[in-house]
Amino acid sequence: MLQFNKLSVLLLLLIFVGACSSSTNSNDESSFDRAAMLENYGNNIIVPAFESLQISVDELQVAAQNFETERTPENLETLQETLKDARLAWQDVSPFQFGPSEDVLLRASLNTYPVDTEKVSDRVSSGEYSFGTINSRDASGLPALGYLLHGVGDTNEEIVSMYTTDADAENRMNYLLDNISFIKEQVDTATNEWQASGGDYIGMFLSEENAGTDVGSSLGMLINSYVKHYERFLRDGKIGIPAGVRSAGTPRPLAVEAYYGEYSVELASANLEQVEKIFTGGDNRGLDDNLEALGAGDLSAEIQTQIDEAQSALDGLSDPLSQQIEENNDPVLTTFEEMQHVVTILKADMTSILGITITYQDNDGD
Amino acid sequence: MIPEAIKKHLSSRVSIAPLAVFRFLFGFIMLVSIIRFAANGWIYELYVKPDYFFTYYGFDWVTPLGETGMYLLFLVMGLAALSIMLGYFYRFGIVIFFLAFTYVELIDKTNYLNHYYFVSIVSFLLMFVPANRYFSLDVLRKPSLRREYVPAWTINIFKLQLGLVYFFAGVAKLNPDWLLNAMPLQIWLPANADLPLIGPLLEYTTTAYIFSWGGAFYDLTVTFFLLWKRTRILAYLAVIVFHMSTWFLFQIGMFPFIMILCTLIFFPADFHKKIIQIISGFTNYLPFSLPKPKPAKNKDFQLSRIGNSIIGGILILHFVLQLLLPLRFMLYPDNLFWTEQGFRFSWRVMLMEKAGHATFHMRNPETGNEWQVRNWDYLTPKQEKEMSTRPDMILQFAHHLEDEYQKNFSGDVEITVTSNVTLNGRRSQPMINPNVDLTEQERGFAHKEWILPFNEDQQNWFKNLQ
Repeated sequence: MLQFNKLSVLLLLLIFVGACSSSTNSNDESSFDRAAMLENYGNNIIVPAFESLQISVDELQVAAQNFETERTPENLETLQETLKDARLAWQDVSPFQFGPSEDVLLRASLNTYPVDTEKVSDRVSSGEYSFGTINSRDASGLPALGYLLHGVGDTNEEIVSMYTTDADAENRMNYLLDNISFIKEQVDTATNEWQASGGDYIGMFLSEENAGTDVGSSLGMLINSYVKHYERFLRDGKIGIPAGVRSAGTPRPLAVEAYYGEYSVELASANLEQVEKIFTGGDNRGLDDNLEALGAGDLSAEIQTQIDEAQSALDGLSDPLSQQIEENNDPVLTTFEEMQHVVTILKADMTSILGITITYQDNDGD
Repeated sequence: MIPEAIKKHLSSRVSIAPLAVFRFLFGFIMLVSIIRFAANGWIYELYVKPDYFFTYYGFDWVTPLGETGMYLLFLVMGLAALSIMLGYFYRFGIVIFFLAFTYVELIDKTNYLNHYYFVSIVSFLLMFVPANRYFSLDVLRKPSLRREYVPAWTINIFKLQLGLVYFFAGVAKLNPDWLLNAMPLQIWLPANADLPLIGPLLEYTTTAYIFSWGGAFYDLTVTFFLLWKRTRILAYLAVIVFHMSTWFLFQIGMFPFIMILCTLIFFPADFHKKIIQIISGFTNYLPFSLPKPKPAKNKDFQLSRIGNSIIGGILILHFVLQLLLPLRFMLYPDNLFWTEQGFRFSWRVMLMEKAGHATFHMRNPETGNEWQVRNWDYLTPKQEKEMSTRPDMILQFAHHLEDEYQKNFSGDVEITVTSNVTLNGRRSQPMINPNVDLTEQERGFAHKEWILPFNEDQQNWFKNLQ
């Protein structure tokens, strides 16, 4: 047994050395409360975002019903404004495409763009259509409303006439209202699923067993959805694809979000603001504090800087974005590059430092 | 010619019981693993759903067999595992298992795990030993097969293999990141801070250092303590504690259980006879009764001279390769973790927290048009993650993109990559030379000149490591 004891002593010695070398500069005092961070995300950011979207959609419906009863340019204008509010409210919800949103395919239902205007016209004139099918996605949701309320005429008077004197006026009005009902249904379902008074997904989101960092955990889902949203739907969808980075260098100005509403940059900017808010957790505990607690405060500051740089590049663009792309695409491409830096730092550095897993499969850490 | 001391470990007459139990337990845990794999939906997820598979160099002919084919292959593999466990037509079962398992592992290197490699090796070795000649249905089926003694090499090759696995895993941990920075454990442990009881402890940097040094010490020494009678029980307790804590803390699958069962082979024959008694006890619950095995006339297993030479030659070659493969990284310049040239098949486990982001730029040299690739149109999230930190996979993907392009368009296309990779907490840095057209680069074992050198002084995001 003698030799074994010697080795045990050696082991203890090694552990002691390890302990000493670290205790001088470790950040032992910080015990980060991940549960508190999740609670901030769930209760102060995610659920309120869904609830304001729900309110906006309700207002949209009311405005549309008013427009139905009194088809005037004034009522159209109000309706256009409520649509813009709803599209802005959507920007705060769009990074959260997991759980209830995923169940009702919220993003695909609400915001598939560019809208297929021919398909919309066909459906309007035939009066035969359904919502919620794969085939109907690019003819429904918010982009279809954008077309119906901004794109069917050059002036608001012309647009109103499409709902009054045009041969398809009634059909078009019905399509408008049915589309809004469809949007409302999806939003109501997802919101209700989240709320504690409804499906109580929030309860699951905040439960202790989901407080880890594996792929099924609340933080794992949130971050995967967040990073994916930023990469594919903000950087690519709103800026990169219209600027032509995916289409052999040929710009596709028609592919901007809100092509007919002409406030694409505003939407992208609101979306990026929400991305930043998710990172900082608003006024409360967020990923930035989590990184700081882990001893990676520099990374937190760097991410903040990069997001700010992307935001200021984005602010340099002007609406209508489609026009900017046609006339002067270089700033759009530069903005895309600025946004690209954020992808790298979020996807590589941040997820790595946080120890977030991205797949369910086994790994041996190599 | 062979020294006596070595000869003793090769040809002395020992009980067959440890080998038979090893076979039973290995077959059992493989069966469980395959059922778990299927139940998790991974056959579909990993071998049916992806559009593209990252093959190994030289094994491009290994392709998935389609949906039905893959399910059938796993069914066959499961039946083979059962055949190994019960020792029923074992020779046939073990060969099928080795081939089927290895084939599946070769389909896509995205799914490479050291423990899969370990399973391939153990099943390879099991093909050469008479593990079915005791405590098996083959013996009941054909009593003349039964043997009670085998030459020691049939058991010692497994001890040697296990020893190599642990030892090389330990040597791999002797690097500055692991020992001086407690990386990557310093990242992985706090990620589990929500665990009850031990959770809060995992947030301390000190804990990461204890685990790092303890883990290296364990890997380097456990084989010796298992071999030595006086420390064996303590060492086996250490095996259980070590592997169970990795199972508890990391998403590591079946590996801990495989090792816990396999290391039982270090125990003496009496111990294994007891295990056989216990397992045989369960046969009383069967609705039918099994006949008692008849003692064979010939109690000793002996290979023919020619069999001896062939198997001896194969095993010597195998172990020489086992010694050299983990060291092949020395033939390549630059940091092993960064380039991963010579990284796989070397028992390097839990050494890196690596994440990256790779953007593929395509350019038509005739028109000058440039565009970027949406990686996710071609790859699953797991494939994209693995690819973005591994130069060999980045090259493969670039070649795949070239092929896809040329399916639709004629003419040349240039593909360059901007890639940022973070390694063990360091600020991400470019990994691939962004000016090199990867369509012009060949796959192979030569050093990849287009990997940018690793910056040893790269800032670490962790304050305590700056």
